[in-house]
Amino acid sequence: MIDIHSNNTKFVEAVTVREFYESFKEPLRMELVAGAAGLDKSILERSLNRPALALVGFFTAFAAKRIQLLGAGEMAYLRDKSAEEERGIMSAILERKVPCMIISRHLAPSKTLLELANKYKTPLIRSPLKSKTFTTEATLLLEEKFAPRTHIHGTLLDIKGIGALICGESGVGKSECALALIERGHSLVADDLTYIKRVSERELVGTSAELSRGYMECRGLGIINIADLFGVRSLRMDKRLDLIVKFTLWQRGMHEERTGLEECNVEILGLNVPAMEIPVRPGRDMARLVEVAAMVQALKKMGHDSAAEFNERLIAHMEQSRKKK
Amino acid sequence: MTASKTSDSSGTLEKDLVVQNKMGIHARPAAMIVRVANTYSGDVWVEKDDEQVNGKSIMGLMMLAAGRGSKLTIKAEGPSEEGLKMLEEMAALFERRFEEA
Repeated sequence: MIDIHSNNTKFVEAVTVREFYESFKEPLRMELVAGAAGLDKSILERSLNRPALALVGFFTAFAAKRIQLLGAGEMAYLRDKSAEEERGIMSAILERKVPCMIISRHLAPSKTLLELANKYKTPLIRSPLKSKTFTTEATLLLEEKFAPRTHIHGTLLDIKGIGALICGESGVGKSECALALIERGHSLVADDLTYIKRVSERELVGTSAELSRGYMECRGLGIINIADLFGVRSLRMDKRLDLIVKFTLWQRGMHEERTGLEECNVEILGLNVPAMEIPVRPGRDMARLVEVAAMVQALKKMGHDSAAEFNERLIAHMEQSRKKK
Repeated sequence: MTASKTSDSSGTLEKDLVVQNKMGIHARPAAMIVRVANTYSGDVWVEKDDEQVNGKSIMGLMMLAAGRGSKLTIKAEGPSEEGLKMLEEMAALFERRFEEA
């Protein structure tokens, strides 16, 4: 069993409206029109709600914790009502402490709506995007904001499209190996400390800390700037995690994988990542081994498992020889 | 029961074993044989018919293409006490059918 030390898993419980508004103002083209006093309200759920049923007074299972999106339909319904009726309808929704309201398609909120947003301290935000587009984009961005995250002591590289995380004790040669791989034209994502996010139910993405991006520490050399030395091609902002390679100092009698038939996984943030342990011995070209390991992984992704294919050939051959006898 | 004997001729220990698992010596059993052979400090040879390969080489073992019923001779060249122990373990491994059907 390969063990990598991963701790500090963080689950984001809530995002404030301010954080949501300020981080995604540009991509979602949002403009705050009322209710600024409520910017510190929390968004507890990572999806949007169309409050059509609430508008007609049906509040059973109303998703009050979600961002409320008023689209063309909702706005047309409100336009159809008198100011007094609108006040009644919207007050009922706002009393349920929704985090914020979004109006899509750049539709204009009525005076009543603006007034209520200020009264209930609930941010009212406009966007020129269509409801569908806004929902899709905002959901993706929220998923990312709410993504569980952790950090791992390891170096992440992009080896010809395969995100390989090299782990192992300090001094086992992770950085040296990374340097050799960078020299061969692969790119560095994070050195020594990799931040990992679960961006979906299938995918983990690793990145480096903003501060240390592009820098590496190598024993005997000190801190070096990768982009200056090898060019900007040698860096990558983030990469999907496809493979974990653990370096272990070789010892007599240790378990070494010889056939490549055994599938080994490491669980990170609840997802399984293919993993392998490579014993470090003098004279082994670790960079080349990691490079080939990544390519083997790439082949597996395309449906070719060299070890399994070879074994099937062998078993079929033995079966035939037996029949001949 | 495996047809097995341990003989001692000119410093080489030998044991005859029969492959009993359904699929024969494919990659997994070969890796298991190598693991046992690696516990021995001396040389290990595996012979099938007239072919002899290094017992510490996975590829070599697989190239014997030893299917079910094949007779193998395992030879241990080196310290005899240790060799006996290794051959015992090897026999036990064959007896367990490499933990397969």
